[in-house]
Amino acid sequence: MHHSVIKPNSWVALKLPSGVTRVIQVTPNTSISLGKYGTFPANLILERPYYLTFEVQDKLPEDSFSRLRVVPPSELYADVFAEEDAECANPAAGPGSNNDAVIATAAGEEFSLVDAESGNVIARSTQEVIDENARQKLTQAEIEELKRDGTNAGKDVIAKLLLSHAALDQKTSFSLSKYKLLKTKKYIRRFQVLPIDVPTFSNWQLEERDASKILDIRAEMMGLVGCWGNVHYGGEDVFLEDPKATTEQGEEALAPLQEDLLAGRWLVVDDTGGLLVAAMAERMGVLYKEDDDETEEAAEEEDEETTEKADEETEQKLESETTSQKDTEMADEPTSETTTLARHPKRPRDNKPRDSDFAVPFSQTNTITVLHGASQPNLSFLNYWNFDVTAPQHPPHPLLNHLLTLSWLQLLKPELDTSYSTPPLTADPETLSTWKPSRRGNFHRKRRRYARVRHMVDSTRAGNFSGLVCASTMDPISILKHALPLLAGGAPVAIYSPSLEPLAILADCFSVARRTAWNSGHVAEIQGKTAEELEKWEGSEQFPLNPTLLLGTSIQTSRARRWQVLPGRTHPLMTERGGADGFIFTGWRAKPAEGKIAAKGKFKRRKVEETVSTPASA
Amino acid sequence: MTGTMTRPTVSPFLEPGLHTKPRSLAILQLSRDNLLPIYLQEASGEHDGYAEGAVVNTRYGSFPHSTMLNVPWGSQIRASKVDTGSRGRKRKRGPKDEASRDDAEENQPETTDNNTNATEATGVKQAVADDSGFIHVLPPTPELWTQSLPHRTQVVYTPDYSYILHRIRARPGSTIIEAGAGSGSFTHASVRAVYNGYPSSAEDRKGKVFSFEYHEERYHKMKKELTDHNLDGLVHLTHRDVYNGGFLIDGKSPEADAIFLDLPKPWEALPHLSRRKPQTEAKEGEEWTSPLNPKRAVHICTFSPCIEQVTRTVSAMRRLGWVDIDMVEIANRKLHTIRDRVGLHYQTDRGVNVSPHDVEEALERLTEIEERVREQAARPRGGEDGAEDADTAMKNGDDAAKKDGDKTSTAEQPPYQTPWVDGRLITKGEPEIKTHTSYLVFAVLPREWTEEDEAAAFAKYPCGKEKAVVGSIDKQTRKKERREQLQKIGDRKARRKERAEKIAEAVE
Ligand SMILES: C[S@@+](CC[C@H](N)C(=O)[O-])C[C@H]1O[C@@H](n2cnc3c(N)ncnc32)[C@H](O)[C@@H]1O
Repeated sequence: MHHSVIKPNSWVALKLPSGVTRVIQVTPNTSISLGKYGTFPANLILERPYYLTFEVQDKLPEDSFSRLRVVPPSELYADVFAEEDAECANPAAGPGSNNDAVIATAAGEEFSLVDAESGNVIARSTQEVIDENARQKLTQAEIEELKRDGTNAGKDVIAKLLLSHAALDQKTSFSLSKYKLLKTKKYIRRFQVLPIDVPTFSNWQLEERDASKILDIRAEMMGLVGCWGNVHYGGEDVFLEDPKATTEQGEEALAPLQEDLLAGRWLVVDDTGGLLVAAMAERMGVLYKEDDDETEEAAEEEDEETTEKADEETEQKLESETTSQKDTEMADEPTSETTTLARHPKRPRDNKPRDSDFAVPFSQTNTITVLHGASQPNLSFLNYWNFDVTAPQHPPHPLLNHLLTLSWLQLLKPELDTSYSTPPLTADPETLSTWKPSRRGNFHRKRRRYARVRHMVDSTRAGNFSGLVCASTMDPISILKHALPLLAGGAPVAIYSPSLEPLAILADCFSVARRTAWNSGHVAEIQGKTAEELEKWEGSEQFPLNPTLLLGTSIQTSRARRWQVLPGRTHPLMTERGGADGFIFTGWRAKPAEGKIAAKGKFKRRKVEETVSTPASA
Repeated sequence: MTGTMTRPTVSPFLEPGLHTKPRSLAILQLSRDNLLPIYLQEASGEHDGYAEGAVVNTRYGSFPHSTMLNVPWGSQIRASKVDTGSRGRKRKRGPKDEASRDDAEENQPETTDNNTNATEATGVKQAVADDSGFIHVLPPTPELWTQSLPHRTQVVYTPDYSYILHRIRARPGSTIIEAGAGSGSFTHASVRAVYNGYPSSAEDRKGKVFSFEYHEERYHKMKKELTDHNLDGLVHLTHRDVYNGGFLIDGKSPEADAIFLDLPKPWEALPHLSRRKPQTEAKEGEEWTSPLNPKRAVHICTFSPCIEQVTRTVSAMRRLGWVDIDMVEIANRKLHTIRDRVGLHYQTDRGVNVSPHDVEEALERLTEIEERVREQAARPRGGEDGAEDADTAMKNGDDAAKKDGDKTSTAEQPPYQTPWVDGRLITKGEPEIKTHTSYLVFAVLPREWTEEDEAAAFAKYPCGKEKAVVGSIDKQTRKKERREQLQKIGDRKARRKERAEKIAEAVE
């Protein structure tokens, strides 16, 4: 769960010296290519710890592959240490000064060049400048050649380049450090392996992929949404008892909903391709499989065998896909990948007696309920955590029991949804036994699906959710109109939007003026409505939402400003990603007192209160 | 597990249930940013002079606990006309007393003291609703607690802690070291992040926060709070100076996955947070235990207001082998929405700007004024200087127009007012913003990797039999491959393979 070492077939992020991140799946017995930085066997990083910095070595004559070397921190920071030492030895000179002699003895060979005769430093990386002219002194071919001949992974190239720059030492420390960085990025064959968790994945999407696919949601905003949504582990799993329905039984044999068991459930509207769901799952402890460390050994024994088994299953699955298209029909995002899942090493042995078709697979607690606008949810990014929401038969994954998905139609008009409203197939055992296995499989699958849909819809409609979290392209007012009644009293609402305007309009629905008017008893359109009717208020021009259903509404935004911290050169970065700022709207679900209610004192002087009424046409 | 399990000890921060409960923490929202934490008491007879039992007095009215108990969270509670009983005489203080928030807070310990003998319930007066005044009762969350907790120190607020916990990978099941505990703001947020159930025994390892505080009084206050909040099994608070004493618990390692240091000198604590005995510490040969989880990379965040602290911290981190050192500052802004009302047709009111709302309105008004000026000028009048005369006329005209304007707007006043839809919707920042809280330094300490570890891993995953290349092939080849792929839509096997490659490509 907590990414101890790099596991076979897991998705990882390779951080390259250029700052570029590559996301790959580490498949045993393959080679990983870093382009011009080199190629190495994937096996060399398997079972190794995350966050180490590796350096691709040159091929040894006796090897058919490049080995890796772990770069110790002392080497990573050699130049900083040299500077710090110089500063200590000669504090008067100051950090940016040309303290050559000291550097010559302290710096690693990587970043400085020393004149063999005089012992003077003639160039060091911090003193270099970008200079077209100088750069042209080394041809690409020369670089390639040096790279091949060198035994030191590109360092000789740097040395030669430094030499060509020797004369240019009169630049400011800013451009110096920039240049050094450029150089480091360009020629050092180092990389780091990071686990694909939510922070790393979102960063990569945001900075290097398509930020719009995740609605430009930055880490600051993700953190805020999670906290203000109070998203956390929602309690120990609770499962409904298997109703042990026979194949002859229909709807009447479904496991009845037990509302008092429902707890720790969050409602979510996610148009970030599943990233928001992943973030919530991470916070709830259902994104990663149980601690890999403990189960690892046993799993590996089965590895070979299960992979084959899974392959077979995939085959079957594909078979069934064609027969029952609806099961696997995908929305717009096509990255669903069954073979990814097939590689999944673990598959439990079915020791337990088989569940009946109507057994509810979902926990009643600690769940995420996704409301989606298309007929299928788009949660394709969950594939990076080896979860495929479209796979009808899925290898074990904690999300299987904790992720419920339903369309707005299923929520609001379930009777119009075929899978909800079509009674389940039934058949007596004799008839069943005469069927071909594929037909029988289909029969069971449809019944299981029916029970699942019924539970998802009915439990969602039962309400009492612990919170609502959104990052959606849909109008938040329309979401709240239908979602607010489903929230438990006191439950938080946290809505992210890349732009401010939709949230401002939303917040205005809960303005003091609106609430005061609503409570005053003078709003004609709500006269005579029961508390329940007001809770399900369908909205009007004057009051798009019942303004008393949320309290403490507020909008905020956060921005992390990044700094460079170097001896004598500490300052905020000069540029950062722009684009959408991102905002969040927050509030808590209120249970308004019934009838007219006024605040004490405060608003008495407002004449409006006494005269409020709205035109009948509104 | 099937069926319910009632664990009355679960913190209201973690599993609040649907209703308010006696003796449990609730947060009263008195007004927008005015929150009052309170432990609700079952009424057991007259309390402090009130016949209704314990009462919260605020400037928004009086609220007997009995009206707030066993109601759904989020309930709007009406103020009550409380029966002061003996209190009025004793204290000479009416229930309608303007009790400030501080007063209410003062009341808190009194009300908490009460009800130790809740059994001897005597006749408690049923509360009677007042005709105005209300508050809301909310379940405690770290966000609400941070805004309402009794401050003993500077605290870490939501914009910072939400980001920090996200970045240090605090997740259900994690173990966190925190120092110093201070007022417990960060502690509450971090315990929510790591919570994955209460440990059932001493051996049962669950998400946990190991918190350290050397200030004795703060330590004791915090200790009590943790108990009151039912967080005892989840937070382990130690009274210690961590610069000297380090982070072990009874000589044993807490095996931390993540660390948060909100201390004046993080660099003095850092050497204790190593994988191996740091050079700076202890005598030769002495046994040394690392407080870190040996199996995982450890994430750290230090929180320091001054840049000098950052420099020293970062320098120490580099020397101790921390990597991915990253320093950021969080700027958070709150925005209010308001209806900006500008126009001559408005009556002077708060928040209204009675000036032309567009050029047309200005033009209309100016034309009116000019007309008046002309009218006035046309009137015969004994005067010396014509120019001065025109000036006065202009002024008079302006005044008259204004008066007239007022009249018109009153006349055109609709029979109702809807200030909530009038004007233009705009957003505005708070009157005062926090421009600096602290600098956040993040870093990672990878797990140790020895020659033996490497040899074992190499033996387990030998190299030299690589079948395929994953990762970046150069652009040309990739394009060509894709084109070829698209062409071969054939048998099922090919389709599967293609999808596999597509995803590999999509993610590289
Ligand atoms: C700014 S406060 C922490 C506030 C806390 N993070 C919060 O959110 O409420 C710093 C705390 O660290 C404590 N402290 C300072 N030096 C310490 C040390 N060497 N060991 C333990 N605690 C220390 C102080 O007593 C103080 O309570």
